[in-house]
Amino acid sequence: MIDAALYLSRRSFANALRRRLQRLRQPKYLIGFCVGLLYFYWVIARPGGAARPSIGAALPGGMAAALGEVAAVGGLAVVLLATWVFGSAETPFTFQLAETDFLFPAPLTRRQVIQFRLLRTQVPLLISAAFSVVIFSRGHLDARLPLKIVALWIVYLTLQLHSAGAALLRGSLSQQGVTGVRRRFVTLGVVAALVTGLWLGLRASLPAVVAAWAESAGAGAAELARALHHGALGVVLWPLFALKGPLLAANVTQFLAALPAALLVAGAHYVWVMRSTLAFEEAAVEHAGKVARRLEARRRGRGDASVGGSRGAPRTFVRLAASGRPAAAIVWKNMTGALREFRLRTVLLLVIVIVAMGSALGSQGSAAELVAVLALSLSGLALLFGPLTLRYDLRRDLELLDMLKTYPLRGRELVAAEVLAPALLLSAVVGLGIGLAFIASLASDAPLPGLGDRVALLVAALALVPPVLTVLLLVQNAAVLLFPAWIAIGPDRPTGFEATGQRILNFVGGALALLIAVLPAGLVGGLAAILVRAAGADRLWTGAIWAVVAAIVLSAETYVGMLLLGPVLERLEPAGLR
Amino acid sequence: MIQVDNLTKLYGELVAVDDLSFTVAPGEVLGLVGPNGAGKTTTLRSLVGIVRPTRGTVKIGGHDLERDAVAAKRQLAFMPDEPHLFDYLTVEEHLRFTARLYSVPDVERRLPALLQELELSDKARVLPPELSRGMRQKLVIACGLLHDPTVLLFDEPLTGLDPAGIRRMKQTIVERARQGAAVLLSSHLLHLVEEICTRVLILQRGRMVTIGTLAEILARRPDLAGKSLEDVFLALTGGAGDT
Repeated sequence: MIDAALYLSRRSFANALRRRLQRLRQPKYLIGFCVGLLYFYWVIARPGGAARPSIGAALPGGMAAALGEVAAVGGLAVVLLATWVFGSAETPFTFQLAETDFLFPAPLTRRQVIQFRLLRTQVPLLISAAFSVVIFSRGHLDARLPLKIVALWIVYLTLQLHSAGAALLRGSLSQQGVTGVRRRFVTLGVVAALVTGLWLGLRASLPAVVAAWAESAGAGAAELARALHHGALGVVLWPLFALKGPLLAANVTQFLAALPAALLVAGAHYVWVMRSTLAFEEAAVEHAGKVARRLEARRRGRGDASVGGSRGAPRTFVRLAASGRPAAAIVWKNMTGALREFRLRTVLLLVIVIVAMGSALGSQGSAAELVAVLALSLSGLALLFGPLTLRYDLRRDLELLDMLKTYPLRGRELVAAEVLAPALLLSAVVGLGIGLAFIASLASDAPLPGLGDRVALLVAALALVPPVLTVLLLVQNAAVLLFPAWIAIGPDRPTGFEATGQRILNFVGGALALLIAVLPAGLVGGLAAILVRAAGADRLWTGAIWAVVAAIVLSAETYVGMLLLGPVLERLEPAGLR
Repeated sequence: MIQVDNLTKLYGELVAVDDLSFTVAPGEVLGLVGPNGAGKTTTLRSLVGIVRPTRGTVKIGGHDLERDAVAAKRQLAFMPDEPHLFDYLTVEEHLRFTARLYSVPDVERRLPALLQELELSDKARVLPPELSRGMRQKLVIACGLLHDPTVLLFDEPLTGLDPAGIRRMKQTIVERARQGAAVLLSSHLLHLVEEICTRVLILQRGRMVTIGTLAEILARRPDLAGKSLEDVFLALTGGAGDT
């Protein structure tokens, strides 16, 4: 079985490498490869890069070491916490469709099947570890490199196993109910003990740490390091300290001394996961097969299979009217898809990010100011990252180009409908945030601009947001229509130097296109602003007029863009996507 | 009706379809057969606007597919061999979506009956990943027939269907033709073609080998008299492919 897994890994790696080398004959991959290579050279080994002082170098000796240790353990703790809070019931033992078809009927025990998959995933883990070490070494390539790679691989392996154990526990509880709780009694007991220990430890240690920080940063760091090693916290966090030991080892001797403890933690995780998997029996294996099929469906581009789990009837957010413009059906379809992908867990993550940002920026102010900051943070995030991440438009639908092209719609109608769906959703989110911030500002006693001025700012923001978002999305969609072979279509993300290079080129091209689109709007708006300012309008209302005029120009540009892109979509053929 | 004149499709140097001309009249079922790589799927895809012909014209119900694409597409339905569906829309939502795209009137009244006919009533609120392949195929066919198209194109329509589904599918094709639709059906199942098609077009390496009823084809090749479509096909294509 091990021979078969190793053979498969070896041949898969060799064939993937050969295919990548072969495709470098195509200019798009060769150029992408060169740009990617230059980027990584710049990141890792550019002249003078290694000489840059690290943050730790600026700190006193003991403090740097203590903070480094705390950062490593803290990072691991956050990853583990995220596994429990945000992880799904799907284990990392997701089999490829071919693996399920070959392995499940093969004369192998379940233990062997799971071991096979586990073994197969180690090659990518090892490559990731090597890559991460080279990147973070920032050009300091020395003899400790292989040791660091092994140390990081042990960390990755343990995290992978931990994630699997958590997923199996979650799956067991959700599928087997009370029986699952009974079967998982020991695991649940250990988790409960760890959480209790963490809580008690934090309660006991935090006051002393806070007091020490108030005294001096050095004393605070020393007290924090001491607290993490002693009492309940010391017991609970020992596995994390054991894991980071080999990673932070300064020499071979330290590495060898720290290795057994790290291996013990990894080994304990292995035993836990194997026992859980075997106890979970058929469900785990059958589930793996189902997941493989769903992922295969997603890979083939039939939408996001993650929403296709058997979780009851999906929610209907907006009902499609029976009559009206046919293109509105596309808008409705994409909005429905995007809203269904939006999960409670995503909201939770967003709230954590916003709360962190809000407490950092609004800690001195009242509750109203905090709400305003949170709302504006949400708007900013949605404005900046929304058009890149919300891909329910042509970036996703071009995988179903065959189907799109049979619809009785003109190309420009299709382009407009595809772009409008995410634009409407994101405009609603950003607008809501801005509106909420405005309302919160009414309750604030902070020295803010007058109400009239705030209304002017609100008008300016609300006028600009939809056209700006539409332009941002149109640029993304134009890129995928004009250079379909350069952009990832569907949910798959290509990897490698060439993919990184292509992404950099796409980003630069997109930024240029955006600049070209925004420039005329800014100029015309500026002209209008000069006129109203000359007529006696105050500064903020002049800004509002500028925003409204710029929004009108941007909208006109978007319309022209859609008209121009329509024929491009009509001419595009499935063969052009490869 | 379908009218194809001098249809040619090139992929670089490769000639996928070479100067193909034929018509399918209302009420007719034309079977499109050929070995693997003969150009059947490219022909079908050219006829529905997925790929653009390099040369030649395609008219659907009198509308030029190039110049009046929307009007032409309103009249046709294409059922591909692989059922492509949006994984985030339920069965019922697919039907509503299609109804809106094609401006189908009275959809509220028709939906329950359609779902019942397809045996999908209890799956109306289910997402495609939870459906079997056969059910997904049924849904694609239902979406295709929802707007009462006058031109129907099928690519391997029986793939994934159960025996009852196969019988119903054959009845649907024949029934639609009887009601006046022009049907083009591509399949490797020669017994199906022989059973329900009024004429056959044999394609090889992008070129038309022959077209006509089986009787007409046999009349042109007396040496094949009394032979089945399968024998005729193998004789005319030199046994090429694995059909």
